[in-house]
Amino acid sequence: MPVAAIEALVEAIAQHQQLSTVAETLELLEVHIEQLKSSTPNPISLSAGTDLFQRYLVATLTRPASVNLGPADDFRAIRNHLLSNGRLFVDRAKASREKIASFGKHFIRDGTTILTNGGSRVVSALLKRAAESSTIRFKVVYVLSPSQSADSREGHQTVADLRAHNVPVATIPASAVAYSLGKIDMVIVGAEGVVENGGIISRLGTYQIGLLAKSKGKAFYVVAESHKFVRLYPLSQFDLPIKQNVLDFKVSEDEGVADVGSPATAESSGSNPDDAVDFTPPDLISGIITESGVLTPSAVSEELIKIWF
Amino acid sequence: MSVATLSSAQASSLSKDTTPTSNEAEVTKGGSAAPPAEAAPKKLSGAELKKQKQAEKQAKRAQAKSAGPNDNPKGGAAKEPQKQQKDTKQPPKEKPALPLRRRPSQATTPTIKETKKESKEPKQGKRQPGLFFGHLYTQPRQHSIVGATKDVHPAVLALGLQYSSYTICGSTARMVAMLLTFKAVIESYTTPPGNSLARHLTSHHLSPQIDYLRSCRPLSISMGNAIRWLKDIIIKIDPATPEEEAKQDLVQDIDDFIRERVTMADQLIATTGSTKIENGDVILTYASSSVVEKTILRAQKKGISFSVIVVDSKPLFEGKQLATKLAHHGVRVKYFLITGASHAIKQASKVFLGAHAMMSNGRLYSRVGTAVVSMLARAQSLPVIVLCESVKFTDRVALDSIVGNEVAPAEELLSEKERVALLPLKPHLPARLTSKLGDADDEGKPATRTSEVLKWIEGSDNLQMLQILYDVTPAEYINMVITEYGSLPPTSVPVVHRSSTDRQ
Amino acid sequence: MAQAAVTVVTPGLSSFLKSLKTTPVEPSVEHFISLLKRRQIRNSRPCAIATTALLLRVVGEFKSRDAAKLVERVRDIGRRLTSAQPREVVVGNIVRRVLGLIREVVNDNIDSDTNATNSDLVSSSQPHQDRPHLSSTISSFSPLKHAATEPTNATIHEPLSESTEFSKRPPLSTHPTSAHMGHSLFGLFLHPDTPSVSNTPTGQHSPTGKGSLTPLNLERLADISKSTTMDLKGEVMDGIRELQDELDQSDELIAANALDHIHSNEIILTHTASTSVQKFLLAAARKRKFAVVHVETHPHDHTDTYGMVLTGRKRHGEAVEDEDWKPLIAAGIEVYVIPDSHVFAIMSRVNKVILATHTVLANGGLVAAAGAAMIARAAKEHRTPVVVVSGVYKLSPVYPFDLDELIEYGDAGSVVPFEEGGFVEKVDVENPLYDYVPADLVDLYITNLGGHAPSFLYRIVADHYHADDVTL
Repeated sequence: MPVAAIEALVEAIAQHQQLSTVAETLELLEVHIEQLKSSTPNPISLSAGTDLFQRYLVATLTRPASVNLGPADDFRAIRNHLLSNGRLFVDRAKASREKIASFGKHFIRDGTTILTNGGSRVVSALLKRAAESSTIRFKVVYVLSPSQSADSREGHQTVADLRAHNVPVATIPASAVAYSLGKIDMVIVGAEGVVENGGIISRLGTYQIGLLAKSKGKAFYVVAESHKFVRLYPLSQFDLPIKQNVLDFKVSEDEGVADVGSPATAESSGSNPDDAVDFTPPDLISGIITESGVLTPSAVSEELIKIWF
Repeated sequence: MSVATLSSAQASSLSKDTTPTSNEAEVTKGGSAAPPAEAAPKKLSGAELKKQKQAEKQAKRAQAKSAGPNDNPKGGAAKEPQKQQKDTKQPPKEKPALPLRRRPSQATTPTIKETKKESKEPKQGKRQPGLFFGHLYTQPRQHSIVGATKDVHPAVLALGLQYSSYTICGSTARMVAMLLTFKAVIESYTTPPGNSLARHLTSHHLSPQIDYLRSCRPLSISMGNAIRWLKDIIIKIDPATPEEEAKQDLVQDIDDFIRERVTMADQLIATTGSTKIENGDVILTYASSSVVEKTILRAQKKGISFSVIVVDSKPLFEGKQLATKLAHHGVRVKYFLITGASHAIKQASKVFLGAHAMMSNGRLYSRVGTAVVSMLARAQSLPVIVLCESVKFTDRVALDSIVGNEVAPAEELLSEKERVALLPLKPHLPARLTSKLGDADDEGKPATRTSEVLKWIEGSDNLQMLQILYDVTPAEYINMVITEYGSLPPTSVPVVHRSSTDRQ
Repeated sequence: MAQAAVTVVTPGLSSFLKSLKTTPVEPSVEHFISLLKRRQIRNSRPCAIATTALLLRVVGEFKSRDAAKLVERVRDIGRRLTSAQPREVVVGNIVRRVLGLIREVVNDNIDSDTNATNSDLVSSSQPHQDRPHLSSTISSFSPLKHAATEPTNATIHEPLSESTEFSKRPPLSTHPTSAHMGHSLFGLFLHPDTPSVSNTPTGQHSPTGKGSLTPLNLERLADISKSTTMDLKGEVMDGIRELQDELDQSDELIAANALDHIHSNEIILTHTASTSVQKFLLAAARKRKFAVVHVETHPHDHTDTYGMVLTGRKRHGEAVEDEDWKPLIAAGIEVYVIPDSHVFAIMSRVNKVILATHTVLANGGLVAAAGAAMIARAAKEHRTPVVVVSGVYKLSPVYPFDLDELIEYGDAGSVVPFEEGGFVEKVDVENPLYDYVPADLVDLYITNLGGHAPSFLYRIVADHYHADDVTL
């Protein structure tokens, strides 16, 4: 998502050939970013990309011009750079996923049992990478939601892949996490966004897995590419910049006989638990595995500080 | 319970100026050498337990021995000590008591020591002992039988020494030994004219024994419970009962009590406990508990495939015996010291602990170090199971391990080997300390030289060694308490305690 | 270890340092390796001292002026040393520090070169010239690069084509972006083939882990070093001497913090025998009265512990010629020695726990003498602050993937005396020498740079080691 957003923005700049000043460009960006954000119910991971892009432009464009080039040249150079390399960004994003996978597999030691809630391509990549190495034997407990969403289809695919690699996989519903935790050595989850205090925003259910893991003293690792770092500082679950309708109090008069959890009745986006996200605070996180190393949650903050302050 | 032996090298001297003579170290093997105890009247006969007999023998010996110092004017210099040392399995634990723990009146009493002879002038009130444990140092531990009043039964004298030397150790073992000894005490009792047994026996005959035992080592909770029970049944004796019959009843009651509250209870606990051991389990235990041992052996006999980790600590190294016994029975055993406990816990799947007592607030009072082990187990989410006979339940409550505890002589902390290892430090000692100690003769047997190490520590201002015997494990670390009544959460300890005391 | 003879000159640190003066380099390396293997030099400080001394000599004897070769040489020795004794992490740390030094020296020289022609362009992103580590501005190191690195060489490298492009000296970049490339979050946008001037020599800004010290880069580096007039060897040796000074002074610098952390009438719990902790407490004892509860750390260090308590030095009395050097008890501090099993019982009255450490790891955890884990956890349970005292040289950039690898096991003989041979036959005696203490049990680290939260250690690591050196 963040990478797609960046692609879109690059595209937008490309289409507006007449832009020649910094201010104009930024304005244009703003408009497009707003548009993007409003078109998705959950703009968090999107804004990780757009913010990063915006900030990048601001940082580079507003710098004092170099000696031999005028500001205009400067701008053009950047623009050309961006336009000509739009594809590269996507490739890099994919490469970083691979890198995380190759790096993160060191976390999987022989004989461990890993719990994951899937839904993340990085996690899948990591597990598959570990499965391919013949020296590590490990087991996976995969938390699968029963619904037929895209996420869960992907989950089924990962499970099938792992099993094909001779990795024993158990699938459990989210309600069985606490039950299973006694047999688990570590938890690995993906994230939609890594927020400023080092916490993560991830699909609904991650927070409770984090809480449970913490209470049982199990390591809780997050895998996320660094372009998912987002400038956001949620204080609680209800402090996210998106409208989620997870808690929907009703009495029978409101809507006839509304069956709990029947997605058909959900009218606003986000009320479907499949799309909803929650916020996992940094104190539950043992480490964030990025493409260039394992960060403590506090290091995330430093990274973000560096580009925003 | 180990009925091993009593290491009772005895010596005394008063001032540190009297350098011990090294030729005192002749050791007679107590088992074979005839103790010079013939003089003592044989009051007790028919004690059915070997332990009992042995205890008596010890007592007689000790009594005979006590005659010596009593004859000599007290305050004499080095006595010719009478050393009796059976070959002990455990390293002897007795060291001279710290002077500050010795009441002035005791300074003249011969103390039981092992191979060292020095003694120091008591420096009364020179410094407050034991940091915040000062309040526990109220009573010095009795290491001799001399202070005892003449009322004390010889079997009790022997028992006391076995207590203070940890020869009989473990709260169940101590209680059983006490009750068995009390049987002898009761048998030797005759009610004086004009008194009734129910009223006189407890206050005049048993009390001195109990006081003496207490002076040897503070009573365990189980002993306290047993004494309360005994007093209770004594007071309930119908005055009309003939004395002999009453005594026989009491002896019978004691046997029943032991059988019901200990022997049968242990069996029930072992049966229940062994069902909690499953194939592939790794059972971790700390120090040594007879019930845990029985439980493990029961599971082993059932053919369950599991292994055991024994975590142990200095200075008693009780776990060593447990490990040896288990290994002897074919159990796979690993042995760690408490410093390695966090590694041991990682390999374990369940923790079984013995108890000194279960407190009414659900906390476990047990060998010091138990709390550490259960804390680590808790952190790893391992189940912690306490095996405890209900006779060890108590009304008492405690929040920490400091308010109520038992201090032990700190010298026990430094084994002979450790002292030897410290000897090379001598040239580095602060000059002030060396001058204070005087120039102790450098040559001489290792024994005297190692005793010097203790002097360094004692002579150093501001330096103390601390040793307590128990700690209190918070209830939240404990998942289950298995008693003869069944399994219960620690919070239900007071419930069981009430119902089990009501029943009597 | 408890029963080693004392007066006999056992091979060890001092004998090694003595022989180092006369022996040629290669035999010295071999000598050190054998000492490490036989555990005759052990524990962090002696290992650090020996390693710096050895490397000083290695650099001193180094013939060529080729920086790349020097890096390779030092790295090679580092590999041999660490494989000889992987658990003495400090050896690797020192080697990495020296490698970093070499890079820095080269880097500084290049910078001064390029600055001459291009000062405006690079000025804003100039790497810091001064060697002392902490920079006031945001360092161009990124924790993303340093937080931890893989223990093995499993790095996925960028397509090789890219690094070949690296090899040619880029035309002076017209890209203002280059100066900002330090922000690794912008990595995504980096221009693929225009490494900036400030970027290339160390590669510290390179976003996606293109190793700047790829062989090709090293060649470049070598070219530069040949072309310029810098005194590579001299500067590196100066740097190593500074490192030696740091080792010497680290305890004093740590101790300077003591008064900030110990108030009057506190009860401080510590364990094992550590000169760092000892000096720390002594420094506080000069001004304040407090009590120390010393856990004896049986069966490994109790002899040293008693030595420390009684005489202020470990049993083998490393030569400390400091007139202030005395045991705590002589400084009027009450010391209570307790066995390890008492930790939980005592903890409710302890105000602070001060731990010595063997190695500090990048994630904020530490490896310390066995028993440390239970002390730290008991402290946590009692909400007692845990302070870890450690020189920066003990800080390792290696991420502890496998904790068991870091733990050394001692000989069963110190647990159960050999006389009880039958016991050892029947029972499997294990004797771990070290404990891993996870970061969440530690409240504060005090290093020679000051106090740090465990969560900030990643930064200190990033400041001290170069990403490319993490994997030796």
